[in-house]
Amino acid sequence: MDPLTPPHAAPLPPPIRRIAVDRSPTTVAAPAAATNGHGHGQPSGIVGGGRHAQRAGRAGVERMRLEDLSISYGRKLAVNRVSLPVRQGEVLALIGPSGCGKTTLLRSLNRLIELTPTASREGRIMLDDQDVDRMEVTHLRRRVTMVFQQPNPFPMSIFDNIAYGLREQGSSRPRREELEPQVIDALERAGLYGEVSENLDHPALRLSGGQQQRLCIARALAVRPEVLLLDEPASALDPRSTARIEDLLVKLRDEVAIVIVTHNLQQAFRIADHVAFMYLGELEEYAPTDQMFGAPRTQRSRDYVSGAFG
Amino acid sequence: MLGALACLVLLLIGTMVAMVLYTAWPSFRSNGLAWFGAGAPNQGQLDDIFNSPANPAAYQYELRAWPMIWGTLLTTAGAVAAALTISLLSAIFIVEFAPPRIKRVIEPVVRLLAAVPSVVYGLVGVLVLVPFVGNLLVSERRKAEVQYVVQLTGDSLLVAVLILTFMITPIMVAIMVDALRAVPRSWMEGSAALGVNRWRTIWKIGVRAARPAIVAGVVLATARAIGEAIMLAMVSGSWFAPNPLDGFTFLVEPTRPLAASIVFYLEGRTVPPLGQTLAAIAAVLLISSLFLSLAGWAAKQPLKRYGIV
Ligand SMILES: Nc1ncnc2c1ncn2[C@@H]1O[C@H](COP(=O)(O)OP(=O)(O)O)[C@@H](O)[C@H]1O
Ligand SMILES: [Mg+2]
Repeated sequence: MDPLTPPHAAPLPPPIRRIAVDRSPTTVAAPAAATNGHGHGQPSGIVGGGRHAQRAGRAGVERMRLEDLSISYGRKLAVNRVSLPVRQGEVLALIGPSGCGKTTLLRSLNRLIELTPTASREGRIMLDDQDVDRMEVTHLRRRVTMVFQQPNPFPMSIFDNIAYGLREQGSSRPRREELEPQVIDALERAGLYGEVSENLDHPALRLSGGQQQRLCIARALAVRPEVLLLDEPASALDPRSTARIEDLLVKLRDEVAIVIVTHNLQQAFRIADHVAFMYLGELEEYAPTDQMFGAPRTQRSRDYVSGAFG
Repeated sequence: MLGALACLVLLLIGTMVAMVLYTAWPSFRSNGLAWFGAGAPNQGQLDDIFNSPANPAAYQYELRAWPMIWGTLLTTAGAVAAALTISLLSAIFIVEFAPPRIKRVIEPVVRLLAAVPSVVYGLVGVLVLVPFVGNLLVSERRKAEVQYVVQLTGDSLLVAVLILTFMITPIMVAIMVDALRAVPRSWMEGSAALGVNRWRTIWKIGVRAARPAIVAGVVLATARAIGEAIMLAMVSGSWFAPNPLDGFTFLVEPTRPLAASIVFYLEGRTVPPLGQTLAAIAAVLLISSLFLSLAGWAAKQPLKRYGIV
């Protein structure tokens, strides 16, 4: 199946006009208005129209705000004066061609970018009206956790992976029985518990790629973050695992604000409530998902979401 | 081809072990398990063996090697414990904290130090540390108090451990730096992204993942410490079993570990019973290094399961 074939999902977005550029018609009718249904050939599990029906009128509480954020590596500008809100109760998708600064932007939200010695940052990032630069960085990263592109479970047991963040949080060393409820809860929220409940002591690295990534999500959820950052969490996974993770994120968005980087437009369309389209380090357009895919404001967004480039 | 070469090497090692054991056998047979026990001073025993009558039936074999074994244990354990602490901290500093400028200087220096022949360290010990300990650290009063039991000359456990530590630390640092550097960044970042601070991340993720290499480094260093002969012969003093109950004096008491003892009596090896006794000492060293490798291998096993190799 053509990976760009849109899911027949939402009733809302109108078909995207093909843009009149003299390119071969590789474009695909974008997320088409269609009847509700799951006839998109994906494994079932991708939530269909129901999710999007809720989309209208979702007004999340703003948790984070980027103000004029610029990031450079040495003298190379990677993110250029981006301002964005991050709201709880919704999924924000960052899309854009590779190298446009999505990862860089995401990593700056929990100041993980500071691990890159050459990176420097300008502009402000607020978390609940508090400047993240004024916060203790470990505290910030517990409130804003991150899941990476490549699943990176620690070389420990499944249980220890989840318990790791919890154990490191407190000054005392909680016993296993005390941690177990939290570990199980995190695994359940990440939709992994059913598969691993019998083997919590098995090595995490023996899990399949999709399970590993859900383990990483569970690990990030275990510390009860307020914002969850995901950098192309499904890019290394098969469609089935991808679908599971998408489901999961949609379920989670009421508890945590979710920012997901994706280069998969269908994915952005399926799960996001707002979409930010970046291009060469600049925020080209920020809009509700339906508008981004239905009636993008700029020519470049229009080209991009219709798959004309990227 | 490579297989044949490996077989040849194994064969050589096997022959060597067999030869040492065969030569050593009379010493073990004559002493039984008491060989490993304590008893008369080693110096006198070894001299008696050296002065054995020419008649094979009258060969002297009596040896209670405990003072030498104790010396090897003390020097090795002391040096390895100290070196492990120092090298782990240095390796963490070099990999995680040192500015690039310092790294560029420190790393070649460490590798250079690892290659310095032990006799050079021994000389530094004899010329600098031994006089320092003998003249400044130990009071004349204390020397006089114990002079009928042991001479405190500065040749001592303390100097032996210090130099041995200095000798094995660079190798361990080099191995650990490589190991820590090989820990995937993604693990370290994953930990940082959970709000775990840098030091804990290094400790719980970095050092843990590097543990097999750290074990390998410890095994290598321990083997070198056990087998170090020349340097220890130069600085550690005479046959004596330092007694921890002596307080500070314990540290400045002399000791002569197994390997160093071989050096001292090498000239007498043509006297058959002495040659056989030296072979027995060598056999003990050989077997302990075998056990050391086994222990190192065993220490790595529990981690393998979790994907740390
Ligand atoms: N560690 C780095 N050092 C220097 N340049 C980098 C580094 N990481 C990313 N860049 C550059 O910054 C730009 C944005 O990269 P990135 O944020 O990874 O893009 P994306 O995730 O959108 O593909 C790219 O041009 C990339 O080459
Ligand atoms: Mg990226």
